[in-house]
Amino acid sequence: INLICINRLSMDGDSSTTDASQLGITGEYMPSSHYVLQSQDDDGEENLNDHEDGGIKENYREQDIYLPIANVARIMKNAVPQTGKIAKDAKECVQECVSEFISFITSEASERCHQEKRKTINGEDILFAMSTLGFDMYVDPLKLYLQKFREAMKGEKGMPGVAVGESLGEELTDDSFTNPLPAGIITADGQQQNVMVYTTTSYQQIPTVQQIQFS
Amino acid sequence: MQNGVNFTKKNISLPISRVRLIMKSSPDVSSINQDALFLTTKATELFVQHLALSSFNNGSGKETNSLSYSDLATTAEETETFHFLTDILPKKILARDYLKSLEQMQEEEGDF
Repeated sequence: INLICINRLSMDGDSSTTDASQLGITGEYMPSSHYVLQSQDDDGEENLNDHEDGGIKENYREQDIYLPIANVARIMKNAVPQTGKIAKDAKECVQECVSEFISFITSEASERCHQEKRKTINGEDILFAMSTLGFDMYVDPLKLYLQKFREAMKGEKGMPGVAVGESLGEELTDDSFTNPLPAGIITADGQQQNVMVYTTTSYQQIPTVQQIQFS
Repeated sequence: MQNGVNFTKKNISLPISRVRLIMKSSPDVSSINQDALFLTTKATELFVQHLALSSFNNGSGKETNSLSYSDLATTAEETETFHFLTDILPKKILARDYLKSLEQMQEEEGDF
C-alpha cells in the first residue's frame, strides 16, 4: 500500500477529507482500504511501530501494553472543562498515545544512558529526554514533584537506609517506593551495594558513599 | 503497605508498575531507577492533561463541548510537540473519498 500524505489531500481543494462530518468509522475495519496512514517527512523521530504495511496496525497494537483506561479517562476528564464530554474512542486513543509517549521518552533516555556507558536509566536521563523531545515545559514541574517526593520519603520513613534485597535500579517493584534512597546501601549481611548516584541538585545533599551500620 | 506509599498514592494517579512494564518493553533497557520511574509516571499524567486540553481547545470541542478522536488527530498533526503521534492517530476518511482523491492526484501528477 502506498502511503499517502494527508496534507496534500486536504490542500487540493477537496474539503471533504477534513470536514469532521465526513470522517467516519465504517461498521468494520478494513485495514488497507479504510485507514490512510499519513506519510510524514522524515523528522527523525523514533517510532516504536515499524509499519511494514498498513494492515499490520491492528495486529501490532494488540500486543502493546497500556495503562488502565479508567485512570487515563479520569485524568482527561479533570483536564477539560467540567461539563465537557469525552468520546469513548478518544479515551482509547489517548490510552495508546500514552504508551507511545512512555516508549518515546524511554528510548531517548536509554540511548543517552548507553552513550555514557551506564546501565541504569536515572532521573537525569528522563528529564534530558523530555527536553530533547519537545517536552521541556514539563521539566520544571517535574523537578518540583521529584523534590517533594524525595522529601516525603525521607520524612515518612524516619530512619534511612533500610536494606533492600537487590541493588537500586534493578527490578523495582511498587514496594520499593516506600524505601528512602541513600546513595550507599548495606544489606543485612554487611556487604555494600554499588549504587548509581543520580541527580543531586540543591535540594538534597547525598554523600557519594554512605556507610550504614546495622547491628 | 509502608508509610512512604501515602505520598505516592495521593500524588500519582497512574499505576507505577504498569509504567515500568511499558518502559521495559523498549529495546535495550536494562534497569530503571526509582527517580526515573517516578518522573516518567508523573510526566505521563502531565502529558495526558496536555494532550486532552490541547485537543479539546484546538478542535471542534469548543463548540460541541466534547473531545473526539478527530480532535486528537488534528492536534497531533498541527502541534509540533505531538507530531510523534501522527502514525497512531491517522485521520480517518471514508474509503470512497480516499479513492477519489487518489485518482485526482494521479491525474495531476502524471505517474504515481
